[in-house]
Amino acid sequence: MLTAAIFVPLAASIVLAFAKLDTDRPRTLLMLRSGATVAAAVPFLLLAIAWSRFEGTGGFELVEQVPWIPTLGIGYTVGVDGVSLPLATMSALLFTVAIVYPVDLRGRARAYFALFLFLEAASLGVFLALDLFLFFVFWDLSLVGMYFLIGVWGHGDAQRSALKFFIYTLAGSLALLLGIIGLFLATEPRTFDMATIIEQQPLAGGGLYATLVFVGLAIGFAVKTPLVPVHTWLPPAHVDAPGPASAVLAGVLLKMGTYGFLRIPMAMQPDTFARFAFPLGVLAVIAILYGALVALAQTDVKRLIAYTSINHMGYVILGLAAAGAAVGGQEAAQAVALTGATVEMVAHGFITGALFLISGSILARGQTYELDAYGGLASRAPVLTVFTAIAAFASLGLPGLAGFVAEFQIFTGTLAVFPWLAGLGLVGIVLTAALFLRMLQKLFLGPLPERWENWHDLGPVEIGALAVLLALTIIIGVAPAWLLDVIDSTVGPFVGR
Amino acid sequence: MTPWTLPLLPVVAATLMFAVRRRDRGVALLGVGSLIAVLVSALWAAVTSPTAAWRWGGGLELTLAVDGFSRVMVVLIPVVALPVVAYAAATERRGRSRLLALLVAFVGAMQLLVLARDLLTLLVAWELVGAISWALIGHDWKARGNSQAAAHAFVTTRVGDLGLYLAAGLLFAGTGTFDLAAIAELDGARLHGVAAGVLVAAAAKSAQLPFAPWLFSAMAGPTPVSALLHSATLVSAGAYLLIQVAPTLTSVDWFAPTVAAVGLATALAGGVVAFTERHIKRALAGSTSAQYGLMFLAVGAGSVAAAGAQLVAHALFKALLFLSAGVAIHATGTARLDRMGLGRRLTWAAGLAGVGVLALAAVPPLGGAWSKEQIVAGAFASTRWLGATTVLIAFVTAAYASRLWLLAFGPERSYPGPQQPVVRPGRVEMVALGTLAGGSLLLGLLWVPGGAELVESLTGGSLAHGTLGGFVAAMTAIATAVGSVVWLHRRGRLVSPVGAELTRRSEGGWFGLPVAAGTLVTGPVLRTSRGLAAVDDRVIDAGVRAAAAIAAALSRTLARLAELTFATAVDGIAGGAIRLASLLRRRVEQAVDAAVAGTAAGTDLLAVVSRHLDDRAVDRTVETLAVRTGQLGRRSQGSQTGLSHHYYLYVTVGAGLLALVLAVLR
Repeated sequence: MLTAAIFVPLAASIVLAFAKLDTDRPRTLLMLRSGATVAAAVPFLLLAIAWSRFEGTGGFELVEQVPWIPTLGIGYTVGVDGVSLPLATMSALLFTVAIVYPVDLRGRARAYFALFLFLEAASLGVFLALDLFLFFVFWDLSLVGMYFLIGVWGHGDAQRSALKFFIYTLAGSLALLLGIIGLFLATEPRTFDMATIIEQQPLAGGGLYATLVFVGLAIGFAVKTPLVPVHTWLPPAHVDAPGPASAVLAGVLLKMGTYGFLRIPMAMQPDTFARFAFPLGVLAVIAILYGALVALAQTDVKRLIAYTSINHMGYVILGLAAAGAAVGGQEAAQAVALTGATVEMVAHGFITGALFLISGSILARGQTYELDAYGGLASRAPVLTVFTAIAAFASLGLPGLAGFVAEFQIFTGTLAVFPWLAGLGLVGIVLTAALFLRMLQKLFLGPLPERWENWHDLGPVEIGALAVLLALTIIIGVAPAWLLDVIDSTVGPFVGR
Repeated sequence: MTPWTLPLLPVVAATLMFAVRRRDRGVALLGVGSLIAVLVSALWAAVTSPTAAWRWGGGLELTLAVDGFSRVMVVLIPVVALPVVAYAAATERRGRSRLLALLVAFVGAMQLLVLARDLLTLLVAWELVGAISWALIGHDWKARGNSQAAAHAFVTTRVGDLGLYLAAGLLFAGTGTFDLAAIAELDGARLHGVAAGVLVAAAAKSAQLPFAPWLFSAMAGPTPVSALLHSATLVSAGAYLLIQVAPTLTSVDWFAPTVAAVGLATALAGGVVAFTERHIKRALAGSTSAQYGLMFLAVGAGSVAAAGAQLVAHALFKALLFLSAGVAIHATGTARLDRMGLGRRLTWAAGLAGVGVLALAAVPPLGGAWSKEQIVAGAFASTRWLGATTVLIAFVTAAYASRLWLLAFGPERSYPGPQQPVVRPGRVEMVALGTLAGGSLLLGLLWVPGGAELVESLTGGSLAHGTLGGFVAAMTAIATAVGSVVWLHRRGRLVSPVGAELTRRSEGGWFGLPVAAGTLVTGPVLRTSRGLAAVDDRVIDAGVRAAAAIAAALSRTLARLAELTFATAVDGIAGGAIRLASLLRRRVEQAVDAAVAGTAAGTDLLAVVSRHLDDRAVDRTVETLAVRTGQLGRRSQGSQTGLSHHYYLYVTVGAGLLALVLAVLR
């Protein structure tokens, strides 16, 4: 079933890539779009079924395994636990919404949908893979998909931004590859199988070798997350990417970095991770404050959202660092921090996904991201205003919306482990409040400039797509038990509670 | 009945109101009706004291209970909200439905706040109240200044919210629960942290120093919004929190004195601000800070019971005064105190406002006087000098209260010029004023023997026994203050009293505190923010760009060096690959044939078929790879001139491969 979740979009992508379609005809285009949406939604349905069968035993479940290159210990292994299941499900849903979202296709509809489906398959592969080699293959494939989405359908200096994204993250993935190979070489018998490595704990002794492996992995994941100061690929990539690609880049691809931290170094070399937990926490707090402060100064709505992503990923890393630290007697708080970090990954996917889709709609109508060009849109576009306000308040962590649940847990857990770091990080909450209120004010409040007299509110497809994301944001914010229980089933044993 | 009714009913009603926003009558009826339902439920809940919980999972749970002082609050909130919402329905024109829906939703959030029994629920409600107040203050959003003021209010109070985040996290770290009652089990640094967090949160919400000026920004909202925010809701949350939590923090030695000091400073400063402001709503806002300062002082002096009584009395008379201010502003079209003097023209309104002013000035037999006598008694019971300062505060309060009334509703106008016709308040407005004035008068029943016992049982605290000396001193101070103000008014020196320049030094008032906050906090933060943004663009990324440039230059040099051999090499590699592929293909085919032939006899037919398929797939892949490599080779010939980034890519990949080899050969 999980295999189908990866291969249905992949197969659809291949079919689209070779299909002969006259996409100039609106009818064909409509069929193409609905077909791609259905293909993108299949994994979501499959993962929803997987969710209903998930038992929460604490280990990997619904595992599907086929030997691939047995001599190297490489297998095709997929499966889920309480962390990857919510992430994969969120990703599948976000992909569906992003694919259905209207965007300027530049006359290359077929390739656009094929690439998007390919990227969905690769992304789900990263979250579902239980084999390091398979994980890395999907990891790098996702880069390729995103490179073309930004480069071909982007705007502004799209080629340059796409190439920067590609090379920067490729350099990161080289470090990651070194780390993975280092980890592999330490196993006995040699294997890439994640469950086996977690059981073996090959680098339990620590030492220079373990440190080098950790550093390789950490660099790879830090570039992807991204942590300050290796974040500079993010703003241009976001600004020049089309709205749906940005939504997926922030909502899904960034999560690969934080998920990777949790899945590989935290689980496979926990004592080395614990030694680096405090420095990692410091980096996280820097990302929180730096991301928020730089976002506050932005005049470009999309850059602003991009920097808040850096800020939010900082929260996630802070939660991971607190959960992975070696402190005795705070297992309950560490579980809370880790649950919070995972909820933040899911919540940020929905919230920032919605914000980037909205920024795409704003660009389509106003042709600019400059905040100063706008104002007073609330009178012309009440739905857009209300939706943006919900997403912005969710992002600044208002209770009743998903972001609060995550941030509250992260700070509660971290205050027990690194009280001073948590105290500093809390300032980020005030800064995000200031910057999002400023954004709402500049876009929607105040007098309406004359040039926007004929501004159109969101269309039905846009409303439907965003409503799905925002409804989930509200549900998680009000009644998160269904999500928190699944995450907790893995997280509890993980921190030894 | 579950206590969830109290917060959810208004929220559901608000949603409905928004849904039917085009029907003015329906919205108003829904609003008033839902608040009446809340009031009835609250009365019922106050008697039955229900509890409830809502599980969030992962160790988080929201817990609610109607007990202790919250029994008073759940009733007080709808009692004050009803006349305010009715008044708003009758007077507001712009965005009326949205305003009413938000006011009703606000009541729901505030109910959740007073029902919270743990810090998580409290924080949830605390921030929701703040967010809705943002929407209320910025209600008239077309004027740019209003949404800026709303943002200022929200961000300032959110600084205080951090205190609650801090308290919740430290409480959980120490006890594994968020339960408010568990605070008593804490010790050490965490206990001090929780105490500090609670103090900051309470001070920010209740507009105490140094946060006080945000209340001035909150004046951007319509008058009914101020009436609700300053009385039983938003601002009262801080004092309410202290009333609930202070008894569990008695082991923190600095806590009570600090709370008292903050309250004392705010009460005096706020009083001076109220005495000097020329804008009626700002004068009232200064008074709000000062009155909550008194409650803080009472909590600091150890008398949560007196603080509770003061909270209720203040809620009633402050809502009344704000609505009266709304009537006065509506009547004259200006908020300037010196342009009013409406006593002879709006006799009834002036009379009702007078009730509020007497309660504010603590003139017996009003309830407001009773609660302040209890605070004076509590302060004298604590230390003598604290008692003496409360007498001073009583003097200041009586002074600004009587100044406010004389200027706004006094019988004589304080400025020359033609008398303009005034707009008279409608029936609904007068009923709203009358209800609140009636409430203030009813509270005078506290003077009846048994009142003290009732307050003690409702708040769970105990009242100090007042001394005759303290009472006489306070009464004398009040009488002197009123007398002096009347005298000043006769001489026409009330509009701009001594010291006005000091407090009104700037646009923001408050002794220039907002300006100081701008210079010391907001300005540096914004400058840092802009600076970092520039650094981010120019410096941090510059490292990356420099690396890219070096790599590109390197690859260009390498390319030039290799120019002669490169093309041939690529051709050679491509050709070799193709030859290798076809060789492999022949070999594989032969092998497959042999294998098929060899195993055909003994092996399962199915396996053969599948293997055959597999190999064909592999075969095709190899072939495609070879062809692609060839194409790539040919293409790279053409790329030597312009596309330097391809070289960069090669170099990166090459460096990576090198590192990989090194790792393998470790």
